[in-house]
Amino acid sequence: MSGKVGAVVVMFVGLFAACVPLQAHHGNASFDVSKHPTVKGIVTEYVWANPHVYLKFDAKDENGQVQHWVVEASNPPDQTRQGWTKFSFKPGDEVELTMGSVARNGQPIGRFGFRGGIILNGKPFPPGAENAGDTGETVPKQ
Amino acid sequence: MAKCPMLSAIVLLACFFVPAVHAQLNDQPKGVAEELAKRKWNNSPPVKSFYSGQKNHGPAPVRDLSGIWDGTAEGGGQFKGPILHPALYPGSRADDDAGHPDETGVVNPLPFTAAGLEALKKNKPGDGVRAVDVANTNDPVDYGNPSGFPRMLFYELRVIELTQTKNQIIMLDEFDQHWRHIWTDGRPLPDINDVEPRFFGYSVGKWTDDYTFEADTVGVDDKTWLDNVGRPHSYDMSVHEIWHRVDYDKIELTVTVDDPKYYSEKWTGLNKLVLHRLSDDFDMEEFIYNGVETEDYNKSVAGEAARSGKPAK
Repeated sequence: MSGKVGAVVVMFVGLFAACVPLQAHHGNASFDVSKHPTVKGIVTEYVWANPHVYLKFDAKDENGQVQHWVVEASNPPDQTRQGWTKFSFKPGDEVELTMGSVARNGQPIGRFGFRGGIILNGKPFPPGAENAGDTGETVPKQ
Repeated sequence: MAKCPMLSAIVLLACFFVPAVHAQLNDQPKGVAEELAKRKWNNSPPVKSFYSGQKNHGPAPVRDLSGIWDGTAEGGGQFKGPILHPALYPGSRADDDAGHPDETGVVNPLPFTAAGLEALKKNKPGDGVRAVDVANTNDPVDYGNPSGFPRMLFYELRVIELTQTKNQIIMLDEFDQHWRHIWTDGRPLPDINDVEPRFFGYSVGKWTDDYTFEADTVGVDDKTWLDNVGRPHSYDMSVHEIWHRVDYDKIELTVTVDDPKYYSEKWTGLNKLVLHRLSDDFDMEEFIYNGVETEDYNKSVAGEAARSGKPAK
């Protein structure tokens, strides 16, 4: 990519960010709900915010390259109802996540499912999650 | 998009946006409800099954709606539209149905007039069968407007606090920390031609028996939407609410829209939706969609998901 093209792309990305509406209560077009990869990595950042809580972690792909994953959950009230808190994850935590869905564009971006699917420092998270039943979400039973 | 007209076409092509997680959370890990019940700050209500196991606290107090109430458990989120009129096709539960030009074939369709259909097409929602990508939505809430009334009952009806004064019933809404008041001092509704439109309209109400409070609202700004799937209303709309205190622990809420300009007959969006009483020391979490956090989210998640790239493996 030439410098000029790269600059234009960067400009468009910036303008895109400025143009999108504020909120995000909408459909599922960017995600493939039929794919549920399990990825293991180390937490780099945990953001407890609206409209979505999200977790960043680094994981190696099949070629040994580090992928910077971002996985989004629902909003803080929904996550609180699932036993999460602002302090549930911290940088350095080891996580193993089975995604509820992943970005269609192949970027390392996913969405949490609501049952099972999260191993935090070797234990199911949140405690008791392994006992939760069908929520109507897309994550397959573990 | 009007904010960046020169680049609209490019941005429209680029914007495939991350959705919200539209789950109705009907389950939760074992022990979470009990832990939440002990919490003093930043609380969140339990799921529906928890309430069925709770003891009844007795009969309804007379002419009293005050308390903190939970609409979440019974589906108050209503991301696909009011509970009785979701913009979903029969049998559908996922977000797969989107991008359709109208609501033909949805469950329990609304009785749009020709003018109503025309107004519907102008609204580009982010959810339901007519959902568009976020770059194309013109949902006023997405641009920072309050949801208004009755959308506050037809969307994100989660935790509310009702309090009563000598002359008002006041509703405090967890979502975006909205509030509205219903006058109970006997004043009539205003002539809508004599007052300015308001996002939450003008409401008056009265007790029709010792356990039933009914309210009427007019004068709602027609810039607001009725729900999260872009159903419109005209300025002539009136809304009738029935708040029935079943017992100490429950209110049943019924909401009916009357808007002859856009709908050929009255329709009811909520019919006896149960609101569960939460403990008096329940402390609402902040649930405010704010610009700074959302911009961070857009950069970290949505923007990346919007990038073109290889298909997911």
